[in-house]
Amino acid sequence: MATPNQPTVTDETFPKQTNKTYALVELMHGEGPMVGKGPDGTVFSFPVVLLIEIILVLGVTLAVFLFSLVKNAPLEAIANPLVTTDPAKAPWYFVGLQELLEHMHPTVAGVLIPTCLVIFLVLLPYIDRSRAHVGVWFSTPRGKRIVVWTALYTVIATAAYVLLDNQFSLREMLRDVVPVWVAQGLVPALIIAIIVVLPALVLRLRKATTRELMIALFTIMLFSALIFTLSGFFLRGPGFKMYLPWQMPNGYNPLDGL
Amino acid sequence: MKSGREGKRLFSRREVVGTVWGVSLVALFGQFSGALFEYLKPRIPAGGFGSKVTAGLAKEFKPGTVSYVQSGRFYISCLPDGGLLALWQRCTHLGCTVPWVKAKKLFMCPCHSSVFNPEGVVVSGPAPRPLDLFPIQIIGGEVIVDTSQPISRDKFDISQVTRV
Amino acid sequence: MSVQTRSRWAPLTESRVWRSFFRHGPPNNPLDRSLVMTSNIFLHLHPVKVNRKSLKWSYSFGLGVISAILFGTLVFTGVLLMFYYVPSVERAYPALLNIQVSVPLGQFTRNMHRWSAHLMVLAVILHMVRVFYTGGYKPPREFNWLVGVGLLLLTLGASFTGYLLPWDQLSYWAITVGTNIAGYVPLVGAATKSLLLGGPEVGQDALIRFYTLHIAVLPVLMMLAVSIHLWRVRKDGGLAINDSNDAGDKVGEDAIGN
Ligand code: HEM
Ligand code: FES
Repeated sequence: MATPNQPTVTDETFPKQTNKTYALVELMHGEGPMVGKGPDGTVFSFPVVLLIEIILVLGVTLAVFLFSLVKNAPLEAIANPLVTTDPAKAPWYFVGLQELLEHMHPTVAGVLIPTCLVIFLVLLPYIDRSRAHVGVWFSTPRGKRIVVWTALYTVIATAAYVLLDNQFSLREMLRDVVPVWVAQGLVPALIIAIIVVLPALVLRLRKATTRELMIALFTIMLFSALIFTLSGFFLRGPGFKMYLPWQMPNGYNPLDGL
Repeated sequence: MKSGREGKRLFSRREVVGTVWGVSLVALFGQFSGALFEYLKPRIPAGGFGSKVTAGLAKEFKPGTVSYVQSGRFYISCLPDGGLLALWQRCTHLGCTVPWVKAKKLFMCPCHSSVFNPEGVVVSGPAPRPLDLFPIQIIGGEVIVDTSQPISRDKFDISQVTRV
Repeated sequence: MSVQTRSRWAPLTESRVWRSFFRHGPPNNPLDRSLVMTSNIFLHLHPVKVNRKSLKWSYSFGLGVISAILFGTLVFTGVLLMFYYVPSVERAYPALLNIQVSVPLGQFTRNMHRWSAHLMVLAVILHMVRVFYTGGYKPPREFNWLVGVGLLLLTLGASFTGYLLPWDQLSYWAITVGTNIAGYVPLVGAATKSLLLGGPEVGQDALIRFYTLHIAVLPVLMMLAVSIHLWRVRKDGGLAINDSNDAGDKVGEDAIGN
């Protein structure tokens, strides 16, 4: 401390306790042998953490700064309720939802599935409560393998669903055969449910832990969202029809609507 | 500890007072939420957004054509037998404006690719029901469309058509 | 220490005014390094000491901090935009043109706001992904995971409400489609939709509601939630780290995070 004259330590302030096996001997100034290498592997936040944060502030602002110099925020024509732009796309983080809406009834795609996802996220920490392997990416090598395999599975399954349903639309094949709520609600909801439940069943049979089950479910959520988003963003052109990104008609560029 | 005495009573004084406090707070919060909801609830004037729009003279609409009436945001679809339908331009899927594609003789929504025929019936795409209708009256040879009350329907049937 | 030559800043740092602002000496010793953190309202969201492992870049990728930085950028650029923006159907679009064309650095400010918003959504999603895969939601951090889910929804809500404000074709149709999805919610759908829009379709009432949510309600809720979130990170013992390696070392989370 900066005050030069230190109070004298007297027996008044620190009376000897005969029943104690330790005592405060002296207030030390200066560095002890443990400084910088605490027994628990900790370091003082000052200044390390602050430095990291300042570097991040500078880095992040610089990145946004540079990008803002290069690319302008889009501004289309003034809103016109009489004419819808073609295609009319949602911002990228909702475009997966828009792709989903293309395949099933709005109540399933827009309400049921998002609600299920939020409920899953909310319940997650109360379902998986074991504290083993906290702080390790994917928990265990087995966890990592589960991530890799479910990711691969999800990418193939959802991509296949998107492409097949686009080519041989279930909705159109079942039109006027079964009621709308079956063709556009029940059937696609069942397909999605099967895609999600299948790996969970496989894991159950292999005696997976709750954490491993959650890893699989989260990975399915993440990668199906990724596939739906990529498809909605890159493969959908005018009329929200499917094209290859470099073969869009009318000079439409998927990157314009960021 | 007085727990022995208190054990005989059904509720301790503390429990009763605590519960009363709790219930009052919940009631207060409920009342607040109700008031907030009422405050924010839009007061939509009766009759919706539209009024009666004159689409034109009945004889101007030729069988097998679709004409756009911008002021009323609807199409007059004149069916091959000369019957008239006033179709609201709003997609029954998620509300985009549906343009009439003359070359294909279909309404094609750009948002999620729903396609409707001149009767407004879904040909393909995710729209759950046909385009909504507005009621038509023919007064003195003029087609008057009441845009205040869109009629939703599950399928096309002949009673929806207005004839001159 | 007291033997050292006085710092050339001593007349300042030992002045009455300075000492009334900062209640710690130069942070070159453990005690003052602790005091820097605990005696400052902003810094006290940090723990005094952090675990080395939690500072490892490949562990957290700094994504939570990056989200918070982007939130700061958004508040700053957003307030700047508010000086020129008018939430009216007639004046919103012209105001944007004005910002882009005649306000010095207006286009750049708008770009910063737009791109930071996109990046923040991405950062928050990735942050959630990292917390999930490292098991950061497990006890005692369940509550902070829930606060995080709330923050994810708030972030998406802020992006969605902000999307309408330019009042161009992109805004108008994205919000039309988005709010119509709300209309499909069973029972309360129609009420939710008209509560959001303030009327039967996207118009002036919707614009003013979205504006109020975007500039007041959601940011205030987010600031609150972020404060709770960061404070809880500290109270829960810093980042979840793998303590199983320090076998026998009973340094719990509680020891670090006060
Ligand atoms: C506005 C958005 C958010 C901000 C500003 C934010 C900020 C932070 C910060 C600065 C940390 C410290 C660790 C790190 O940098 O990785 C953190 C940790 C944490 N965050 Fe977030 N966060 C946000 C959203 C979320 C979301 C969406 C979730 C999950 C649903 C979440 C869950 C957590 C949890 C559980 C921790 C503790 C992690 C651990 O101990 O390993 N946060 N957050
Ligand atoms: S709004 Fe017309 S198809 Fe979705």
